[in-house]
Amino acid sequence: MTMQKQVVRQVVALAAVTAVVLGIGATPATAEVTLVYSDWQLAEPVWGRSLKEAFAEFEKQNPDIKIKTEAVALGQRDTRYTTALRAGKGPDVFALDANPIKQYIKEGWVKDLTPFIAKQGGTYLADWYPQLLGPVTEGGKTYGLPKNVSPIMLTYNTELLAASGITQAPKTWTEFREAAKKMTLATKAGGPVDQWGTLLVLAPAGFDLRFSVVLRGFGGDFLTPDNKHSMLNTPEAKAAFNYVIEMINTDKSMPPGVTQVDANGGRQLVASRKVAMAFEGLFTVPIIADMNPQLDAWKVLQMAPVPQNPGNEKKIRTTFYMKSIFMNPNTEHPEEAWKLIRFMMEPKQMEKWFADNNLLSARKSVNDGYKAIADNRFATAARGELDRAAFLPQIPQWPEIMETFRQALQAAIARSKPPEQALADAHVQIEAILARP
Amino acid sequence: MRARRLQGNEELHGLLFVMPALLLLMVVLGFPAVAAGLQSVNLMWVDKPAFSLAAYRQLASDPVFAHAAVNTLLFVVATVTFHLLAGLGLALLLNLEIRGKWLFRVAALLPWTVPDVVAGLVWRFMFDPLAGFVNSAAIALKLTNEPIDWLGDPTLARFCLVLAEGWRAYPFIMLILLAGLQAIPRTQYEAARIDGASAWQSFVYVTLPNLRTMLIIALVLDTIWECRLFGMVFSLTAGGPGDATQTLPLLVYRQNFEFFNTAYSAAIAVVLALAMFTIAVPYLRMTMKQKV
Repeated sequence: MTMQKQVVRQVVALAAVTAVVLGIGATPATAEVTLVYSDWQLAEPVWGRSLKEAFAEFEKQNPDIKIKTEAVALGQRDTRYTTALRAGKGPDVFALDANPIKQYIKEGWVKDLTPFIAKQGGTYLADWYPQLLGPVTEGGKTYGLPKNVSPIMLTYNTELLAASGITQAPKTWTEFREAAKKMTLATKAGGPVDQWGTLLVLAPAGFDLRFSVVLRGFGGDFLTPDNKHSMLNTPEAKAAFNYVIEMINTDKSMPPGVTQVDANGGRQLVASRKVAMAFEGLFTVPIIADMNPQLDAWKVLQMAPVPQNPGNEKKIRTTFYMKSIFMNPNTEHPEEAWKLIRFMMEPKQMEKWFADNNLLSARKSVNDGYKAIADNRFATAARGELDRAAFLPQIPQWPEIMETFRQALQAAIARSKPPEQALADAHVQIEAILARP
Repeated sequence: MRARRLQGNEELHGLLFVMPALLLLMVVLGFPAVAAGLQSVNLMWVDKPAFSLAAYRQLASDPVFAHAAVNTLLFVVATVTFHLLAGLGLALLLNLEIRGKWLFRVAALLPWTVPDVVAGLVWRFMFDPLAGFVNSAAIALKLTNEPIDWLGDPTLARFCLVLAEGWRAYPFIMLILLAGLQAIPRTQYEAARIDGASAWQSFVYVTLPNLRTMLIIALVLDTIWECRLFGMVFSLTAGGPGDATQTLPLLVYRQNFEFFNTAYSAAIAVVLALAMFTIAVPYLRMTMKQKV
């Protein structure tokens, strides 16, 4: 019996010690959370560097949260995200440009951030430009936060303009066409043409932002203000469409193969001094500077408003580029994801983004109060255009409409169809897309 | 009676042995096929499932679909013809008794080892108007004074696509036909020679009849393969200029991943699958007949 008691005591003691040890093992040590952040800008050296530096700072401030970055090419971004999101997976936090946002909201691929924003206090969003919140807002709910913005501007190489005797940026489309013709030349006597006046991005990645400014600069647009009908049958649209085709086919003031040039290819041509003028956002300057340091892009490049035709100067003449940050509705760590989004929206981070990438903030206080922005000639030119820029139509059918139009323009450039026919066909097709239930 | 029971047992055992493979096939092939069918009639992966033939009605009146279907047909006919001619020609050459035959065989097989997306990108660089090898060579040889926009002209872009895919995938037909050529008994050629047949007559009356089955199998499989080709078209022309080289697989991709019209893209995929199944019938009949 005594023996039995002893055994029982020993077992109880052992159990107590084990419980204490296990208890100690299980206490505090906060579990580390890893958030996956994905962004097409991670694939660009300049932007990627800047983002990773910001995340290092975030991890320092939040030692219990680690960020795993996932770069994705812009062209493959929606394929990757939509496949993952449909399967209930995908990055915890990700970035989108303005174009596909409404579709993501419609499909439930982005989380409603309204409750998180409410916790920050009623005035949290008051610092954002109201027009920039439009794309991320639906039915009174906010699904993402705009980070940075740029209107598309006429970007030109001052040295190439000067070499052709052009003293200032073209203000009208007539001046623009003449300048482009003048700067299309052979740099070596007797050699083939190896410098072109301008280019338009005509491949899918980047087409929407660039062609739209020509259309808007001519006083036209793709859709009616209510987004219910095509406006491609207007005289302004026809004029813009023919203008581009004539520059390519008649003047040959854009490089051969321009129909395959995407945004990055266009920047490379500007960086290598092969093209004198292009339509770009503020972000383009550091990228070109990185592509060809010998160009001295910060000094040689300049930006001006998109040309317009005298007598047809509509208020809106350019298009907004905007990047916003979203949360995956399937994330297992919404609080940590919100922490990251909030961190990225801090004025200090917006200032860093401008310093590294030359992009204006979506927050008024940053653009108004940060001295580096006030002192930067590119930013000064772009801020003057914020009221003259608009987003492309924010409707789910937009990607299909844009591609329909792009293919029509390419068909006309390739002479598969007469320009009038190509534009009329695009108008009919877009009307059909908009009429679908 | 006992013999029948034994045979029944053997069949049951056989069925049990193939069951895992059958189940795997049903999951891997069957589920996506059924899912695509259901998706095309709005019964799967939608907020409010409700049977609808809207996607098929849209398909019937969509000029973009019609154009892509014609493009696919032209592309497949041109590419498979290229493969047949190049594959047969090279198979005949590689079947000759020559020194270092294995080296030529390995060299002829190399394009087949290149993934279609990679091959598309390589050809795209070669056809680049400003920096591409093709234009540099043409200008150096004084064949042209100014760069040719190979992928910016609809006819040239179609030609480039057929050339690139023709180069990449001819070894498939070549391999099948080479195997067929090696199986033809030498005695048949000797008999033809004794009968005074010329080389052409030997080819027409001995080689081709012996290759008939192999030719049909190779053509059917190659046709199906080219009908569903995506990577090469996507990476070389992306369907351009305009929609000059937009094929049905590319349209399926665009409708699904770029335009988010999932039901419509599934409907196109179903129609494409049915077309390929129809093409596969001769192959299936032939292989099933051989079994019997």
